[in-house]
Amino acid sequence: MPENDTPIQLELPMPFPELGGDMPLLPARMVNEYQYCPRLAYLEWVQGEWAASADTVEGDHTHRRVDKPTRNFPEAGDIEPHEVLHGRSITLSSNRLGLIAKLDLLEAEDGRVTPVDYKRGKRPHIAKNAYDPERVQLCVQGLVLKEHGYVCEEGELYFAESRERVRVAFDQDLQDLTLNAVNGLRLIAAGGHIPQPLVDSPKCPRCSLVGICLPDEVNFLQGGAIEPRPLAVMRDEALPVYVQAYKGKIAKNAEALEISVDDAVVQSARLIDVSQVVAMGNVYITTPCLQDLMKRNIPVSWHSYGGWFIGHTVGTGHKNVELRTAQYRASFEEHICLTIARGLVRAKIQNCRTLLRRNWRGDDKPDALLDRLKALGEKSLRATDLQQLLGIEGAAAAEYFGAFDKLIKKSDDPRQMSFDFATRNRRPPTDPVNALLSFAYSMLVRTWTMNASAVGLDAYRGFYHQPRYGRPALALDLMEPFRPLIADSTVLQVINNGEVRPSDFISAAGSVALNEAGRKRFIAAFERRLAQEVTHPLFGYKTEYRRLFEIQARLFGRYLLGELAEYPNFTTR
Amino acid sequence: MAAYEYLYLVTYDISDPKRWRRVFKLMKGYGDWLQLSVFQCRLSRKRHAELIALLDGIIHHTEDHVLIINVGPAESVKPQVVSLGKEFEVLERQPVIV
Repeated sequence: MPENDTPIQLELPMPFPELGGDMPLLPARMVNEYQYCPRLAYLEWVQGEWAASADTVEGDHTHRRVDKPTRNFPEAGDIEPHEVLHGRSITLSSNRLGLIAKLDLLEAEDGRVTPVDYKRGKRPHIAKNAYDPERVQLCVQGLVLKEHGYVCEEGELYFAESRERVRVAFDQDLQDLTLNAVNGLRLIAAGGHIPQPLVDSPKCPRCSLVGICLPDEVNFLQGGAIEPRPLAVMRDEALPVYVQAYKGKIAKNAEALEISVDDAVVQSARLIDVSQVVAMGNVYITTPCLQDLMKRNIPVSWHSYGGWFIGHTVGTGHKNVELRTAQYRASFEEHICLTIARGLVRAKIQNCRTLLRRNWRGDDKPDALLDRLKALGEKSLRATDLQQLLGIEGAAAAEYFGAFDKLIKKSDDPRQMSFDFATRNRRPPTDPVNALLSFAYSMLVRTWTMNASAVGLDAYRGFYHQPRYGRPALALDLMEPFRPLIADSTVLQVINNGEVRPSDFISAAGSVALNEAGRKRFIAAFERRLAQEVTHPLFGYKTEYRRLFEIQARLFGRYLLGELAEYPNFTTR
Repeated sequence: MAAYEYLYLVTYDISDPKRWRRVFKLMKGYGDWLQLSVFQCRLSRKRHAELIALLDGIIHHTEDHVLIINVGPAESVKPQVVSLGKEFEVLERQPVIV
């Protein structure tokens, strides 16, 4: 954390107008965050974003001793001059200053009080023995104490790792800095514009919100010269749990999910490793288990037996209402819808073309076909309305699926059944390849629906796909470029590697579906595909598809909020 | 970038059966049960911090003892283990499909 060298704005000490009922008090911790990085404070305070990291967990642990509140700490006038007192976890606020602070420890001696703030790390070896954000946070506590009539001239920072105390005098410089930060935070909150990310700052790698803020990516897309560091590329620790077994039951046992069939436990999954629960068909979840999943923000998605996405259960939803407002606003603007849709369709056609080029198994080179797709991709950028765009997409899909059979490996043995593909059909699919495609698309819709709601977008309000009852239009929009990359390529992989065989299908009344064992293998292949690493064409670093989806969704949010001039679509080479 | 997850062996001696049960249940949520009072865990820095905080809240500091041994980066480590009797397998990460 280098010193913040923004100039301090001097001002007359005018009292902040008494707060009305609607203005929230600023917590001292937020003033700390603002001093550290204004964008971080905006994300946490205004947009309600939060992410825990090792540092924050350790910090909470450090505070365990001072988190048990003391009752009956005397008022300012009641402290006897010779009394020595300690108070823990005391919350004080001031309406006049508009501030609220939680004091870890308050010590009183000789009629003066000293707030002590607990920090998890070591004392930094710099001139003032503490960084400005921590000093400012302490000063806010001092200001609130003074407001309550206590005599308070200095505070202390306690560094738990090195067990050192550092004195911080509340001199004029620090008070100016603090008031500057308080006013700055109030200003950005009232202004409703997110501050710019820090440029190539050493603060970013240790910030727990880096994967939400995307500082390097945003700077780069705004025309910055520095290639993004792979900061946002954190590994996803948790993975989905699929239950598609007939009569499956999901219950909770201590810290794990227990999945049983006919009251016999068949599998358990640690809750910390679960990113989402996917229930297919006749599966039930006990109420205590569902409540715990909601508390932990683990979404549950519900599907018909055949994989059709019915809906999902989440907790109280994402706090970032600003993002949703921007999404709704943009969705009513025809030209924005068209701009987004053009980009999505073009990226999809490009990715289709790449898939054809890479997996071609025909005898002659498909140059003419690739050229036609390329032309359609260019044409989609010139579409003047959504109807025309739909036509271009249809034409490209016809070209693409017309050649799809040439990507499928044919069995050498003529006695064996093989996969054939004539045309795309659905509702219900009438041959195995179409059944696989439909199933893969429904898995992708689920992945994107979860993904969109996890970053705070509303999955049901789209731009290209117009909203219809129960259709996750935004998820369908954003997944367009990934249809060939994830769904189609998984289908080709399971067929060509022989993971799913023609005997894995059941056909009834003209429709074809996967049987249970085949579906299990297909889901495993789909998840494997999501765990594959790709190099991001713009940022140059490697990331899993699963994580890439989140980055794309967040970048889409940044575009909607006006930070990026256009949404960077994902295409592979 | 440093390794993301590390493999740990966690062993404990808890003198009170009630606390032992609580520790056992907590450990089941963070790792794979190998033997009596021995667990194998794959933890990121954050999970590691969480586990320590939770164990610290349960155990009695003068009577109990917990050891958390770092075996190495989870993706690449091949622990040099002599395992007699049952099979010993290094913990892996994969989606659960039932």
